[in-house]
Parts: sequence; C-alpha cells; structure tokens
Amino acid sequence: MSNRFEAFLGLSVELTAFSRFDLLGTGLAERYLATLDKVVGVEITDTLLAAFVALPPAEGEARIKAVRTTILGNELLGDVARALIKLWYSGTWFELPLAWMERFGSRPADTTFVVSPDAYVEGLLWKAIGAHPAGAKAPGFGSWAFPPKIPALPELDSKA
Amino acid sequence: MSSYSIRTLDELKEFLHRAMQLEHATIPPYLTALYSIKPGVNQDATQVLRVIVVEEMLHLTIAANILNAIGGTPDLARPDFAASYPASLPDGETDFEVGIQAFSREALATFLKIERPAQRPKQLAGKGLIQRKTSANTTALGSHPRYEDLHFYSIGEFYSAIAEGIEYLEAEAHRQGTTIFTGDGSRQITPEFYYSGGGTLFPVTDRKSALEAIALIIEQGEGDGGGIYDNDEHELAHYYRFEELVKGRYYQKGDQPGHPTGPQVQVDWEGAYPIKANLKVAEIPEGSELREAAAAFNARYGEFLQLLTRAYNGQPSLLLEAVPTMFEFRNTILELIRNPLPNHPGMNGSPTYEIPGSTKQAAPTRQSEVIA
Repeated sequence: MSNRFEAFLGLSVELTAFSRFDLLGTGLAERYLATLDKVVGVEITDTLLAAFVALPPAEGEARIKAVRTTILGNELLGDVARALIKLWYSGTWFELPLAWMERFGSRPADTTFVVSPDAYVEGLLWKAIGAHPAGAKAPGFGSWAFPPKIPALPELDSKA
Repeated sequence: MSSYSIRTLDELKEFLHRAMQLEHATIPPYLTALYSIKPGVNQDATQVLRVIVVEEMLHLTIAANILNAIGGTPDLARPDFAASYPASLPDGETDFEVGIQAFSREALATFLKIERPAQRPKQLAGKGLIQRKTSANTTALGSHPRYEDLHFYSIGEFYSAIAEGIEYLEAEAHRQGTTIFTGDGSRQITPEFYYSGGGTLFPVTDRKSALEAIALIIEQGEGDGGGIYDNDEHELAHYYRFEELVKGRYYQKGDQPGHPTGPQVQVDWEGAYPIKANLKVAEIPEGSELREAAAAFNARYGEFLQLLTRAYNGQPSLLLEAVPTMFEFRNTILELIRNPLPNHPGMNGSPTYEIPGSTKQAAPTRQSEVIA
C-alpha cells in the first residue's frame, strides 16, 4: 500500500470512527480516494492528506481538537472532509456547498452522484444503525425479530 | 458382504457422523469461492455457487435426520467434526485435496472432483478400498472408521456403503422383530423449520425414507444414474452446474453429459479477490485487525456449530434463529476477503475456518515454520 493510500485510510478512520478493517472490508477505499482525486483534484486531496499526516500525535481530546481546527475548521479542507464522511456513510458524493465553490472555484466533476452500485450497498450508515440497504444484503428471514446489531463505539479517551 | 461393509448400528452411526462432516466440509470452500467474486461480475457463477451451497446445507440436515432416525446423536461440535483445509476426498483411484480458495479455474476443477459421478471400472469391481495417497495428517473426508489409511472409490460409494448398511441392519432387526428406526420423531428437522433450503426436507422414519434421503443427496450432487438431472428431471446436478461454468455454456434438456448446447455463460475468471489459499490465523500478523477479525469469525462459527447441534438434538426451532447468523457470516466473510493480507502484497485475507476446540486442525508449529 502506498503512503498516500495509507494516509487516506488513516484520515478516513478518524473521520468515520470505523476501523481500517471495516473500511477496507467495503472494498471501496481505493475507489473513494480516486473519487476525491477526480472531483476536487489531486492537489487539494494531497493538501488534505498532508494536513492529516502533519497532525500532532496527541490522543483523545487534544487529537479531536486538532482534527477540528486543522481539517474540519479549515476553509478549503473542511467541506471536502465532510463530503468524504458522507461518501463513506452513503456511497454518494454530495456536491460541495455553494460558498466553497464561490471561494475556490467550481469543479466540473463536483456533482451529486452514487459512486457505484456496490457503494450504495456498502455505505457505513447501514452498519452504524444496524440495518441493511433496501433491496441488497438482506439479513435473512426472521432477522427482524431480533434487536438490531449496532457496533460498539470505538474507545475514545474518557475525557472526550 | 465385503470386509468394509457396515455390520453394527454403532458403525452406521459413525458413518452418518462422517456423512455430516463430509457435507459440512464442502460448505466453506463453496462459500469462500462464492463471496470472493467481485461485485458486478460473474452473476451466473454467483447464482450457481449459491444454489449449490444451499443444497449442501440441506444435505447436512438430511444426514442429521437419518442419524436421528436410528437413535444417534448428531454432534457438530465433536472435536473431529470440523475439517482442517486442505482436506482430502476420494476421486477414483486417487484422492485429492479440497481447500479454501478464491473463485478460479483451479477452484472449479476441485469442485468438479467433489461432485464427480464415479463408477468403479470393471477391473476394480469388488477390489475393496483404495490406499490413500494424500498425507495422513490431512482430514480424510468420507473415510471408513475402521480403515483410516484407505479411501472409498468415490463419495457415491461411501453413501452406497451407508445405504447397504441400513438395508442389512434393518433386515437383521426385522428377523428379531424389531427395527433400527427407534429415534424420537420430534428430533427430525421438517420443512417448517427450514426456510428456503434448496429442496424438500422430509422426516426419516423408516427404511424407505432413509434410502430416499441418501438418494436425494447423491442425485443432487452427481445426477441420477449417469444423467445430468436429478431423478425429478428438473434440476441439474451440481457436477453439471459447475461444468457449465468451466465450459462457458448452459445445459438444456436432452443434452448428453459433457456436451452442453444451451446459451453461453459469461465467466470472468479475473473477477474475484485474490485471497491466499488455505490461510491460517497464524499467518496473519499478530495485533492486526484482520487477525482479530479472522479469529472472531472462527469463534463465532464454532458457536454456530454448537447451535446447529442443539437444533439437531430436539430443538429444531433453533434453526430459524440460525438464519440471521448465516447472513452475518456472509457480511464478515466479504470483509475478510476484501482486506489485504499484511506482508503478502497482492493477496487478500480469507476466513480460515479453524474452529476452536477442533482436533482436526493442522499443528500450529507447522504453520509458524511456513511463515519463518
């Protein structure tokens, strides 16, 4: 795995609160990085990855604060990171906000679209709420009689 | 009566335990190949594998019904039940290894061997069992409890031995005014407990239903008496379904074995994740999420075998509870297969089916030597 892909995976783990295993298990990690490259361009993607790699190695509250101020609170990177979270959760790239386009220029590929048929199926939102995508990945006859299986939250620092 | 004929009820029970083991042992290889197929491709192959693996689950349950009918105790948690892969199976005069691997031409070649209809050639008729050629360390599926170093000519022959054993022992019992079918009828798995299961499930209560059950297992696998369909003439046997994928063409009514003439089947042999064949947990780096997930899957699978054991021992309604677990396995297997295997560039992970507490697993020391 390239350093670039590793950084993308690390960033995605932090943004989605799902594990590397979960993210790689969707089979879509490479395609989502390619989506980012295609929609906002390699340059902005690299800036986002560089900002993530340069984060202080702090844990818990300090780390979360650093992600907020350096990435989510950044004028250029914040909206891109939020679109990436939505991409992982729904398999859909959502067009960036008007304010972002006015400030940084619109991109021809930046429209709202579903990345691929399996991207919809592998959206993290289904796992997060213990449900399944309608028409795909059926959970089996009678499964509705059991409580939904919701994954435990990853361990955050107790102070967080 | 040959030296390997079944002579006692206990021996028949042991054969049926091995029949359950054999039927179950086909499921992990088929399931893994099925879920290794990438999304959006190989829809024909996906359908074929799915239908077959569901029928193997039916066969497992049918074998449990026969064992229950003669007063046996199905035990899928017995330490010698779960196979270690690769495991050996008979294929004519040789035996071969069946393993866990991705959907591929090699995998299909193995699957064809599993389901191959095989009649002894004339010169071998009545010659008895055949010497094993695979290592004595591998699990020998469909083997004779008294002759572990030998194998039957085919799986069909293994089942014929069971059918003859039933006939012989039931005739003996009749002479003494009794029957071997003394099992509690409430332990039978009947259709209301078995949702969408690849065929009709019926209770086994006597000689006739027991022999019908065995015939169903054989015919769904290799076809009826040399034909490509089972005896109801509507369902293609497993061997010929796999052959459709290899030959790239569907069978249609009237076709001769080996010569399908129906529409083309599209197969993308590259359309599968490149999993490492017969992966063991010990080969996955310690502390990695993949290793943790592979081990968790094995533990969960072990619990599942215990759940099936309870279902087959008087609590058939537990099979309904088992359904969501099987779908959960699908999701986990997909995740394991899509995760790259650390330190093996270009290769992905896989479920290992090393069931905790099973004695049939390969010695861990051998595995660590392989890595070193």
